Amino acid sequence: MRETLDMMDFVYAAYAICLVGTLTLAGWSFASMRAAEKRREESRRK
Amino acid sequence: MTDSATRGLKPKHQRLVLLSLALVALIGAGLLAAWALRNQASYFYLPSEIVAHAPGPDQGVRLGGMVEMGSIKEQPDGTTIHFVVEDGTAKVPVSFTGIVPALFVEGSGVVADGRMGADGVFVAEELLAKHDENYVPKELEGMSQEQVRRQVEATLE
Amino acid sequence: MHGYANPARFLKIARWFTMPLLVGGLLVTAAALVWGWTSAPPDRLMGDSVKILFIHLPAAWLGMGGWTAIAIASLVELVWRHPLAAISARAVAVPGAVFAFLCLVTGSIWGRPTWGTWWVWDGRLTSMLVLLFLYLGYIALTNALAREGSSSRIAAIFGLVGAINVPIINRSVVWWNSLHQPASITMGNSAIDPVYLYPLLASVLGFSLLFGGVVFARMRAILADAQAEARLRRKAQKAELAQTARGDA
Repeated sequence: MRETLDMMDFVYAAYAICLVGTLTLAGWSFASMRAAEKRREESRRK
Repeated sequence: MTDSATRGLKPKHQRLVLLSLALVALIGAGLLAAWALRNQASYFYLPSEIVAHAPGPDQGVRLGGMVEMGSIKEQPDGTTIHFVVEDGTAKVPVSFTGIVPALFVEGSGVVADGRMGADGVFVAEELLAKHDENYVPKELEGMSQEQVRRQVEATLE
Repeated sequence: MHGYANPARFLKIARWFTMPLLVGGLLVTAAALVWGWTSAPPDRLMGDSVKILFIHLPAAWLGMGGWTAIAIASLVELVWRHPLAAISARAVAVPGAVFAFLCLVTGSIWGRPTWGTWWVWDGRLTSMLVLLFLYLGYIALTNALAREGSSSRIAAIFGLVGAINVPIINRSVVWWNSLHQPASITMGNSAIDPVYLYPLLASVLGFSLLFGGVVFARMRAILADAQAEARLRRKAQKAELAQTARGDA
C-alpha cells in the first residue's frame, strides 16, 4: 500500500506561513522603528 | 595587566590577540566534539556497517541505503513488501508491513527503522524516503544505469 | 565624542536605505516566487512539493547568515569597541530567528509528503533547532541587558560562542548519515536543474534585501530608543540637581 498525499496542500501551507511570517516581520520592524523615532522627537521637544 | 607585560601592545591589539586565541580554542573544541560524535550522531547505518557488526535481535537500529533496482516484491497479503537495501558493497533484505511513503521507489534512498531478524532479514517498523541533493524536472526522467549509479554514490557519500 | 559621530552618520545613510530595501525586498521576493511558481515543473520524485525549496533554502541561508553576522559584529564590538557593533548585532537577532523558524517549519511541511515524517532527530534538523533556541536566548539576553542599562559584553561573548553551531549545521550532512540530503549548491557547483536554480537565486536575493531592510529598521529603532532614554534620564538628573540646590539655599 502506498501513501497518497496531495503535494499542493503542503505547498500552500508552507507558502501561507512564509507569507504571514515575512509580512509580520517587515511590518513590525517598520512600525516599531517609527514609534521609537517618534518617542525620540518627543523627548527632544519636552 | 602592567605595561611591561603587554610590551607596549595597544589595548585594542591585546583584545584582538586574546579573542583570536579564545576563538581558535573554542572552534577546536567544537570540532573535536563533533568528530567524537561522528558515529553516535549518525541517523542510520549503512548495509555494510550492519553486515560487519550485526546488531542483536532485540536491538533497534536504523538501516539506510539505496533500494536495489527490481527488488521490491509485494507479498500476497497486499500490505507486506520485501525489498533489498544496498550501498554498493553490501546488501540487506528488508521486510515491511504497512503504508510506504510516496517517494519510496527503487533506485532511491530509504531509511528503515526496525531490527535484524535471526534469519538475516531486517524487519522494518517504519520506512522513511530519503531524497538526494539532485533536483531534476520530470521530463528529464529515464536516466541511464550509469547516471543512477553515480547518483547512488553521491547519495551515500 | 567619536561615539556620537558614528551613529549620526549611520542614521543619515540608514534613512535613505530602509524603505527601498524593505519595499524592494518584498517586490523582488514576490516576483521570484511567482516566477518559480509558474516556471518550475514538478520534480522527478518530489512532484509539486519542490516549490517549497524557493522559500526553505533562502530561509535556511539567512538563518545561518544572521548568526554569522552576529558573531562578526560581536568580535568588532569586543576588539574595536565600535559603537554601532552592539546595535547591529542586536538588530540581526529577530529577523534571524524568524528565518530560522521559517526554515524549520517549511522543512517540516516538506518532510511530511516526501520523507514520510514531520520531524526526525538527525544531525541537520537538530542543529538547526539548536540555532533557533540560540536566537531566542540571545534575544532574551540582549533585551534584559538593555532594560538594565548594563554593558552588552556578555551578549557579544554569547554571540561568539554560539557561532560554533553554524559550521556544525553546514557540515552535519557530511559528517553524519542524516535523513536530510547533502548540500545541493556548493562553491561553483549545483545539483539543481537551471529551471529551479534561477528563480531560487532570485528568491535568495529578494529575501536578503528584505533582511537588510529589517536590520536597518531595527537598528534605527534601537538607536532611537537609546537616545530617547538617555535624554529623559539627563533631564531627570538635571531636575533633581536643581531641586537639591534649591533645598540647600
